[in-house]
Amino acid sequence: MQILVRFAQSHQEFRIPELLSVAQVCGFELEIPSDADATRPFMVLDLPDEHHARLLARRCILIKAVSEFWATGATAEELHVAVKANEAAWRPYEHVSFKFLVGAYNQTISSAEQRARMESLRYMDFDGKIDLKHPELVMEWWEEYDDAGELSGLPRGEGKGLLRQIYFSRAIEDGSARTLVHKFDVKKRAYFGNTSMEAEISLLMANQTLASPGKLMYDPFVGTGSMLYTAAHFGAIVFGSDIDGRQIRGRGTEKKETPGVESAARQYGLAGRLLGCATFDVTRNPWRRGGLFDAIVTDPPYGVRAGAKRLGRKDLTKQRTSPVRLSDGILSHVKPDYIPPTRPYELADLARDLVRFARWALRPGGRLVFFLPTVTDEYAAVDIPTLEGMELVANSCQDFGSWGRRLITMRKVAQDDGERPEFPLEGLPYGGGGNGDEEHVPAHKGFRDKYFAGFKREEKEQLAASSST
Amino acid sequence: MVRLLTHNLLACHARNCTSNNFPLELRDVSVALREADYSEDFLRGFIPRLEWPALVQAAKQLGEDSLPEEPLDPATATEEQLKALHHVLLEVHIEEGSMVCPGCQHVYPISNGIPNMLLAEHELARS
Ligand SMILES: C[S@@+](CC[C@H](N)C(=O)[O-])C[C@H]1O[C@@H](n2cnc3c(N)ncnc32)[C@H](O)[C@@H]1O
Repeated sequence: MQILVRFAQSHQEFRIPELLSVAQVCGFELEIPSDADATRPFMVLDLPDEHHARLLARRCILIKAVSEFWATGATAEELHVAVKANEAAWRPYEHVSFKFLVGAYNQTISSAEQRARMESLRYMDFDGKIDLKHPELVMEWWEEYDDAGELSGLPRGEGKGLLRQIYFSRAIEDGSARTLVHKFDVKKRAYFGNTSMEAEISLLMANQTLASPGKLMYDPFVGTGSMLYTAAHFGAIVFGSDIDGRQIRGRGTEKKETPGVESAARQYGLAGRLLGCATFDVTRNPWRRGGLFDAIVTDPPYGVRAGAKRLGRKDLTKQRTSPVRLSDGILSHVKPDYIPPTRPYELADLARDLVRFARWALRPGGRLVFFLPTVTDEYAAVDIPTLEGMELVANSCQDFGSWGRRLITMRKVAQDDGERPEFPLEGLPYGGGGNGDEEHVPAHKGFRDKYFAGFKREEKEQLAASSST
Repeated sequence: MVRLLTHNLLACHARNCTSNNFPLELRDVSVALREADYSEDFLRGFIPRLEWPALVQAAKQLGEDSLPEEPLDPATATEEQLKALHHVLLEVHIEEGSMVCPGCQHVYPISNGIPNMLLAEHELARS
């Protein structure tokens, strides 16, 4: 059956990866047509039946609605030709109660114009009664326009963009997963912080993990736990760790008080799926073995809100090799307020290490889902860390102008866990250098400095270079 | 909320502490029982990843003696056996206390149910 998917107007690059992940988690094969254009708000898919369309609508955050595709055309005349040609699809509905829904993207259609569109379909000659409240059939007429506002500086939908396409279909189901964006709204959460990930993205990430009952998922940079709640919502058992326990507990938490992450899990009724949290540096982690997790889902620190760090002294020659006894006779590190020293952790090293960690800690077939910030002008596909045994599944950019972040989904294809990885402070290659002989330095290296310099340095250099010639 | 499943997965990882670093000894622990969602698939899938004797030992120390000495077989375990395993693995929580490495004696304290598994400066590798 041909299904028309209508997307929400955000996160275009996440649309196809989400469809594919959700189909997989629901246990069916989905083939995206080779001419599908994810920048457009409508897509026609071939699905075994209506039930599969409903499954997608109930789990895809980016689906507004699914309907049975009846006809399309670049103009009204073309559309009517196509509707008439596909009479077999709609004739069976000629006697049921019905209503019409006329809508448009990037345009408002007046009610008079809407009526004219419905009238133009008179030839279908339906004799069921019109029922606006509980119709057995809803027929949808959607028009897609160019965003003229974008060109003219007017708000979206104002100004006359050109008509691109018209779709005519039979409504099946509205997307219900979008309401989760409100349920997981950070501002309504019992515990959140300035690093909390917005609900919509946390939900998209959870879908990329293939979260479902019986799976174990882990966030090694858990912070206030945003991704734990959405993965647990879809049934997974979740665990989080962070180098800074205050992120997990909340500042000023009293002894025996419920930690912040647990309070939020309780608020959502998900405490029974929160395996727990722990404080540690993921590069010095206490996991007894690899092959544990069905997914690792995380938003690593990339230095904009909270810089990445790892245990150790910046000046290694000053790093202690034996414990220190304080004047009161107690070893310094056993004091309850002891905090080990930390050093900066370069983002490019972190991204490489995260993939190496995942290669070991995931179960075969498990997924790594994480954000990688990129400087838009400098980004190259080779910036995604590559590693034997890990395969890239999806790479979706969320564009903020001069910088962006990419949601990377990888799958562990290796059947073994390999050796427990070490994360030395220096000397590991980045990999991913295209032909492999040369070391490729990823563009996100030094991202924090570039971010605060407003990504201007290169531009200045270019200016200087061009003015001197 | 250190459930016994978590305890079964954590080992001491101080520099040079590579043997006799598991299981961590439970010391001065206070325990709470709290319900967890039951998933048969999860339990069957996870049995091969458990260190069974360590689990039995920790459970006994906390007064739970419903587990057999021999590991369950994920393929043939009965629902009753899985329910008992579920209870021990996921419903027994350590709230306060500490976990101590049997080898190097590093003390990992647990407060608000969150274990502090950070290493001390002298326990870190220098490379
Ligand atoms: C961007 S925040 C994650 C925010 C989280 N998604 C949330 O919803 O709040 C990154 C977190 O990584 C932690 N972190 C930084 N370096 C780390 C390391 N080496 N190991 C573990 N956690 C680390 C920080 O303390 C911070 O909480």
